Amino acid sequence: MEFFNLNENSLLITWNSEINSSLTRLISSYKAEILSICKNDIQDCVQSISSILIIIDLNRISISEIVEKIKMIDYKKVNKNDRIKKVWEIPVCYDLEYATDINLISDKNNISVREIIDTHLSKTYDVLSMGFLPGFMYLGKTDKKLYCERKEKPSFKIRKGSIGLALDQTCIYPRQSPGGWNIIGVTPIELFNINSKNPCFSRPGDKIQFVEISKSEYKSFKNRLDKPKLKEL
Amino acid sequence: MIKFIAKGLYTTIQDEGRFGYRDIGVPYSGYMDKENAQIANLILDNPLNNSLIEATLIGPTIKFDKSAFICITGADFNPMLNDDKISLYTPIKVNKGDILKINNSSVGSRCYISIKGNINSDVILGSKSFYSQITKSIVIEKGDEFNFKVNNDEITYKYIHKKFKLDSIVEVLKGPEFECLSKESIDTLLNQEFSIGINNRMAYYLNEKIKDRVNSIISSGVIPGTVQLTPSGQIIILHRDCQTTGGYPRILQLNEKSLNNLAQLRTGDKMFFKLLDL
Repeated sequence: MEFFNLNENSLLITWNSEINSSLTRLISSYKAEILSICKNDIQDCVQSISSILIIIDLNRISISEIVEKIKMIDYKKVNKNDRIKKVWEIPVCYDLEYATDINLISDKNNISVREIIDTHLSKTYDVLSMGFLPGFMYLGKTDKKLYCERKEKPSFKIRKGSIGLALDQTCIYPRQSPGGWNIIGVTPIELFNINSKNPCFSRPGDKIQFVEISKSEYKSFKNRLDKPKLKEL
Repeated sequence: MIKFIAKGLYTTIQDEGRFGYRDIGVPYSGYMDKENAQIANLILDNPLNNSLIEATLIGPTIKFDKSAFICITGADFNPMLNDDKISLYTPIKVNKGDILKINNSSVGSRCYISIKGNINSDVILGSKSFYSQITKSIVIEKGDEFNFKVNNDEITYKYIHKKFKLDSIVEVLKGPEFECLSKESIDTLLNQEFSIGINNRMAYYLNEKIKDRVNSIISSGVIPGTVQLTPSGQIIILHRDCQTTGGYPRILQLNEKSLNNLAQLRTGDKMFFKLLDL
């Protein structure tokens, strides 16, 4: 664990170990433990793939005080996590009309478009973190064959529901937005519903399984506020 | 009630912002220039974090159907009440039927219009601040109407020693990925003059680029004021509506004072970074 003071009231904790499901579980547990011991001192606690960003209430605690509290946390206690994991089934249309960067990845990685789709569908992904936008999920890890850098120049407009690839991760854009991921498909699922008590169906630690749908299925699905199918592990 | 006869370029309702939801990707939003927004509330004896109207470059025109006290702060848009020019940083009495024309700013980007009392607007996840996909409205449109609670308490305000001023110096701390920069680029960053490019409530792009070709990082938390460097050398300063995480190296971090000042800079304005010790 490395500590970095981002500014007067923000503390960044970074883990440098390999990114895998057990790191995601470890960070989830640390977040829960930090919140349980310092709940009233913390304004926001943002879990990411290999880090937690904590924004504190300076009227209640200082950065050095919270660092001391976090250092006291017992690693063994945190490492036990009995949260039930969920697998959400997300339908994806990989039609070229929506998969605006799939040919680019095909050329760069020397792999056919069909093979990109099959490879993308072949794994169940961990929800590594949420952020960037309300309901935006970072999913990993993808197969080596799909590895790619973010676009050098971010796109100003990415379609709502777009499925992206960058580095060894895949993602879902919950709304139209600028962004730097390579787009290979689109889902009709509503990812962030403000009218719900719980605006996001998923949390870090859950899993996502993509399922291919046709262009016509995507179009007929599009205006419905469907929650994806859920399987308990 | 108030009615918007003209909407202006980008007019929104803002309060302090939406806190405690960054873990599910909900931005803070809130006043871009928090200092001047809070002064507008202070002058009217409103709660410091009351919601008010934020205008950008071209202001709205507002009709009042009941009397109220208002206060305008921030950049001088040359606001007029009916046919009279009105002052900033002071309470102004508005009568039933009056028309407030905010006009345009020539220096600075944003002004704040506070009403003594409180503007009625939906509170979503603890805040009235407009944000796409969270609140129904993203910007105020022509014809929009808002009720407000009138507060007729006497104003205790005497005088505030505040004059609007822009600063070209932007104070920063080292970001978590500062060390990924070459010596030459650090020198450029801290000594060269930069100019503001495309900008909005989410981010300010700078026109001048950095030579270093840095790699993406594993996506990690960002906050308003985080300065990102893209692989093409583009410098991006995140602002109030910014995302909660990002994958570009975080080379610098603005302090609150400079974040407020940046909110008043506009396309073409010059600026320098000044590195502070934490």
